[in-house]
Amino acid sequence: MEAIIELSGIRKVYRVGNEKVVALDNVDLSIEKGELCCLLGTSGSGKSTLLNLMAGLEKPTRGQIQIKDTYVEKLNEKKLAVFRQNYIGFVFQSYNLLPTLTALENVSLPLAFKGVPRSIRDKKAKAMLEAVGLGSHFKRKPSQMSGGQQQRVGIARAFVSRPEIVFADEPTGNLDSKTTKDVMGLITAMARQNSQTLIIVTHDISIAAYADKIIHILDGNIEKTEITTPTGVERG
Amino acid sequence: MNSLDLISMGLRNLYRRKARTLLTVLGVVIGTAAIVVMLSLGIGMNERSEKQIRSMGSLNIIEVNNYGMYNESGRSSQSSVLDDKAVSQFSNMEGVEAATPMLETYLKLVSGKYVAYTQLIGIDTRVMSAFDYKVSEGRLLQEGEANAIVAGVNIPYNFYNPKSGNSFRGFYMGGSGEEKPPVDIMNDKLELTFDMSYGEKRPPGGTGDNSQNKPAKLYKIKVAGLLAQSNDEKDYNIYMDINQLKKMMKEYERSRSPQERRRNTHQQQESYNRVLVKVKEIKDVDAVQEKIKQMGFGTFSLSDIRKSMQEQARTIQMVLGGIGAISLLIAALGITNTMIMSIYERTREIGVMKVLGCMLGDIRRLFLFEAGMIGLMGGIAGIAFSVGASALLNYVGGGFMEAGGIYMGDPSEKISVIPLWLILSSVGFAVLIGLVSGFYPARRAMKLSALEAIKTE
Repeated sequence: MEAIIELSGIRKVYRVGNEKVVALDNVDLSIEKGELCCLLGTSGSGKSTLLNLMAGLEKPTRGQIQIKDTYVEKLNEKKLAVFRQNYIGFVFQSYNLLPTLTALENVSLPLAFKGVPRSIRDKKAKAMLEAVGLGSHFKRKPSQMSGGQQQRVGIARAFVSRPEIVFADEPTGNLDSKTTKDVMGLITAMARQNSQTLIIVTHDISIAAYADKIIHILDGNIEKTEITTPTGVERG
Repeated sequence: MNSLDLISMGLRNLYRRKARTLLTVLGVVIGTAAIVVMLSLGIGMNERSEKQIRSMGSLNIIEVNNYGMYNESGRSSQSSVLDDKAVSQFSNMEGVEAATPMLETYLKLVSGKYVAYTQLIGIDTRVMSAFDYKVSEGRLLQEGEANAIVAGVNIPYNFYNPKSGNSFRGFYMGGSGEEKPPVDIMNDKLELTFDMSYGEKRPPGGTGDNSQNKPAKLYKIKVAGLLAQSNDEKDYNIYMDINQLKKMMKEYERSRSPQERRRNTHQQQESYNRVLVKVKEIKDVDAVQEKIKQMGFGTFSLSDIRKSMQEQARTIQMVLGGIGAISLLIAALGITNTMIMSIYERTREIGVMKVLGCMLGDIRRLFLFEAGMIGLMGGIAGIAFSVGASALLNYVGGGFMEAGGIYMGDPSEKISVIPLWLILSSVGFAVLIGLVSGFYPARRAMKLSALEAIKTE
């Protein structure tokens, strides 16, 4: 399998006042296409920083981030936007749906940013919403939905443009355990269905159980990498 | 992101904060209305004075006289004689349509037992129509037409019967008297004489003059046309072909005693009291007037008055517009404030949009659209409000100003005028103000770090 994400010699140092805080020390990482990968670590371990770097939300102090043929750290804001449109989906911990938009509009937002005509993107977004089990909630505003439903919309939004990589930052952090199960089942199933690469950041070991590969992060370094057999979902 | 999506998103964002949007829009409404109403007062004032000037006569006629005939050295300059040569010089000037001398004399009209003192002006009949002489009855004079006049509209009322007591009745009646004038000058027989005492009751014993002179000749004349009312001097004069008048005056001179002729020398040479010059285009009036002045003549035109009136109106307009502009400036600050507030509220949203791949330009366009939209709504509502306020001012204020002693002329005249260009440009300006006010917030939204934004809890 080919590597879709290649990180080499990544170092990220924050300056807080006069003090330097090393978030990531020296990280080399390779994630293969179609892999379900989990970045597991405690709060402050640097796992979120790693995700942000891969998504191009911040720049590394040192090192290279290669996604497909692109060096993400070299892209300017404009190219990053196009890059995200084409390759990246994002699921947030706090859903981050736009409150003025309906479920359908929220899901079709990434397509709207790409300039996809309304008729096409509505069709795709409807299909996505049906796939996440919200076929009857097209017209609902986020405020009219439960947390679990909102996260489903979030997932539909992340997958709607069929990005090759989906990042999920603590996707179940705000959900109860039952909903967590549903959401994790959904997100992994979707990723597998189209062999998309899914990268989940979590501190919850039970979430990590859904992944093919668990990368333990501790104090800015990869502590160990664990290849697992997923328990949550049957492989197939 | 296509424009339609952007618009729908922007409108929804505005709708989401209805109260705040409304208040911000209200600020623009007040600002726009302040400017528009203030300017409309200025424009109204300008139009009124323009109309007033127009009613005083034509704007492209320059009156040339001899009063200012002294040049800088204080000596009468050689060229400043208003003779035929000067007239032809005027008419050959660039931009001049026509020029006519005005030969004035004072004489008496006689119709049966009625007489009227009147000013007779000899004029170049070829260019009469160019100088705004219009008849309400009959026709204008033809070139060289002898013994024919056109009369001002008030002339018929000047007739009185010298033998009866109330001699000056006609003068005070003006042209608007409901009484019929004593003479139907279009049809009654009419004569003209230089003898001012004709028909008057002679003082008992008589004077030496009268006994020495044979009575002045009576010229039979007919009225070719009655001039339309113009509210200027044309209403009070009668006009005749200048060459005919010259002939008559020479004849009269010859008939008089030598002493009298000497007493009355100023009219002897071929010089005129006044010359009227008509300029083709109003914009050329100043240039022509300046040229004539340099030739050593005094000039007068309504465009002189107009210029100073316009200047005055412009100053007032600036002051009024400035007051309005201040309120719009405050409205602009309101828009900026609203948009910045909006960024604070929507920081997270903006971050999410960025993470989802929204182009930076689209974010800026979204914010600019929202700010521009506030301007547009405020502008339109402001215009609507101004039109209403203007109508109210015209309805209430007209009577008020009249009562305040300010001459309003025609009661239909408006104190507040909102022309179409003002409507369009003020809406445009309001939108522009919105865009300018939104520029900084939009830039700020665009530059927002996506990471910081989504971190904000």
